[in-house]
Amino acid sequence: MYGPHMALDDVNLDLPRGAIGILGPNGAGKSTLFKCLLGLITTTSGQGTVLGYDVRTQGDLIRARIGYMPEYDSLDPDLNAIDQVRYSGELSGMNPAAAMQRAHEVLEYVGLRDQRYRKIETFSTGMKQATKLACALVHDPEILICDEPTNGLDQRARQFMLETLQRTVKDGGGTVLMSSHVMDDVQEVCDQIVMIHKGRVVVNRSIVDLAQQIEREVEAVIWGGASKMEDALLDDGLKVRRLGRVMRVTIEDEDTIQRILTVAAEIGVQVRELREYEPDLEDIFLLIMEKLGSEVKGTADLMTSAHTGGDSR
Amino acid sequence: MNEQPREGSSSGEGGISESPFAEVEAADSSEMDLGSGQTRMEVAFGAGDGDEDASAVVAQRASLGILFEQIYRPWDGELGPRWVRNYAIFRHHVYGLFTSKGHRYYHPFVRLTIVVIMLASLTPIAMIFLSSTIAGSGAGSDWLTRMWGVNRYNLWGQVLGYFPRNLCMWPVLTALVVGGMISDDRKNGTSAIYFSRPVTRIDYTAMKYLSAAVVLGFVIIFSYVLYYTTSIVFRGEGWAFLIDTLPIFLGGLIAGILLVITYTSIGMALSSLSQSRFFAAVAFLAIIFGTKLVALLVDVQFDTSILYIFSPYDSLAHVGQWLVGIPLNYSHPLAFSIVSILVFNAVSIGILVNRVSSLEVTRE
Repeated sequence: MYGPHMALDDVNLDLPRGAIGILGPNGAGKSTLFKCLLGLITTTSGQGTVLGYDVRTQGDLIRARIGYMPEYDSLDPDLNAIDQVRYSGELSGMNPAAAMQRAHEVLEYVGLRDQRYRKIETFSTGMKQATKLACALVHDPEILICDEPTNGLDQRARQFMLETLQRTVKDGGGTVLMSSHVMDDVQEVCDQIVMIHKGRVVVNRSIVDLAQQIEREVEAVIWGGASKMEDALLDDGLKVRRLGRVMRVTIEDEDTIQRILTVAAEIGVQVRELREYEPDLEDIFLLIMEKLGSEVKGTADLMTSAHTGGDSR
Repeated sequence: MNEQPREGSSSGEGGISESPFAEVEAADSSEMDLGSGQTRMEVAFGAGDGDEDASAVVAQRASLGILFEQIYRPWDGELGPRWVRNYAIFRHHVYGLFTSKGHRYYHPFVRLTIVVIMLASLTPIAMIFLSSTIAGSGAGSDWLTRMWGVNRYNLWGQVLGYFPRNLCMWPVLTALVVGGMISDDRKNGTSAIYFSRPVTRIDYTAMKYLSAAVVLGFVIIFSYVLYYTTSIVFRGEGWAFLIDTLPIFLGGLIAGILLVITYTSIGMALSSLSQSRFFAAVAFLAIIFGTKLVALLVDVQFDTSILYIFSPYDSLAHVGQWLVGIPLNYSHPLAFSIVSILVFNAVSIGILVNRVSSLEVTRE
């Protein structure tokens, strides 16, 4: 409960090892879920364990084995990166010598080896994100929680961050819980998603399973009469989603492709490309949100300037 | 091929020296890469001269084109218990005063000011030392001892004297040290670094409080203790002096500890209210000086000291006078000042706890 609001309701999660994306529109309860997992807020009812520890009474033991990378700035601008990461290790209970050695290792791991003695106030957004990741990894946690890890990153930094998270799952052998509004990022790193809507978990499945549930479509790029083609396909009894010159036609049987080509030939339009469309996580997300009655038209609706590189404050 | 230019470069038997270019022309061009300039390089630097058998230490794992190899190294050490984490917080804030590397950053001006305040608080020691160097019990030595030597008034003044200590030094010291303790975490979001780890809010608050109190104590209490002990050493005082003055000293010590606790409580509470360390510092000075000034004006105008209970300094001074045993110069009962100190601390700690509990890990 958050005041009069029910932040999370009837959440029952059993999360395996691997990379898991936590999705949901703003205010769905993702941050509250993270707080619960970190043992920071007590639940009003029910029970839960993280790594075998009770979330209600053993929060400190849980946090000792979890690394958390916050969404917003959480670094002291007056410290060097190496000292910030070392201090984070010490706050987890590492002795100063071990924390310093480990700080060197994780800063090298996140690509800041040559910048580790620079003050954080001189860092770019990407370097700050990498430092936050290093702080979260310094004590080699079993679970790594990343809240919007690619916020404000350019393409190169974003790709590096995603590859680093993938490698952390693969080589570290732990679990990464990643929340993001950028579905491509989640799809690139995660095998499974947990979708939260209005405080409830509405989906907890692998991305592959979810993609298989979506109707298969064929994508056709039309030239010379897209509207005419759309009408003709609908008249022919096919289900069509149109995005400008691109038509996505639901595959009903083996003859669907032939029917599209026949219709195109009859009305005299060109089919310049024709391929089977593979639904991505964005499609899955929007489809689920549509079924839940949400008015989200695209994941861009969920983003703020912080997600797109604007000032986060 | 390597040896050829070198051999060719040696002088002929007739001892006639030749141009190196001529030597190149004389060499077998079928074995020379003339187009690449290799020949000139070899002539110039004598490549191949003695390095045929040399070996170099090279990386075994590096491969072509890789500048950075990302390897996740697990850590299998043991995490320390609660005191290790708490000591890390304490060390981070206190060590920063002495070294700017790796710990909380204190601006050089802040550090310089603290040094100046520290030295200023030690000035009576220099005067006692001076009195001890004047032989006999002449007028000069007596005057110095009376002015700066250990007695009830000077022990009280060392901690609670209004000028210069409580007008200039202690409030400024507190404002500088406590200003950013919590407000910086709120401003920078660094509270997430603490609370996403096994650090409880009680640990966080207690260790920050302790850090500030230790720094204040280091100047205020340490200078007080040093003043008393050096006066014994410099003047060669004996047991009689100790028996006479120890109770007064302990009274002053308790007053000093009360002052450190109260100032720290108020300062930490103010620091937790805002994201600005400037606000906390200025608000602290405003409370100390403002309440004193208002109470003083009312006292002068209406001849009543009751409003001094709203002044943290005067409440402490009132209790300090009683502890050290000098005449009280406040007309209201002592109990009022004791209650006032308790209320100041309780309210401040209440605000501090409330504000720290609102520090976030995730931002909604």
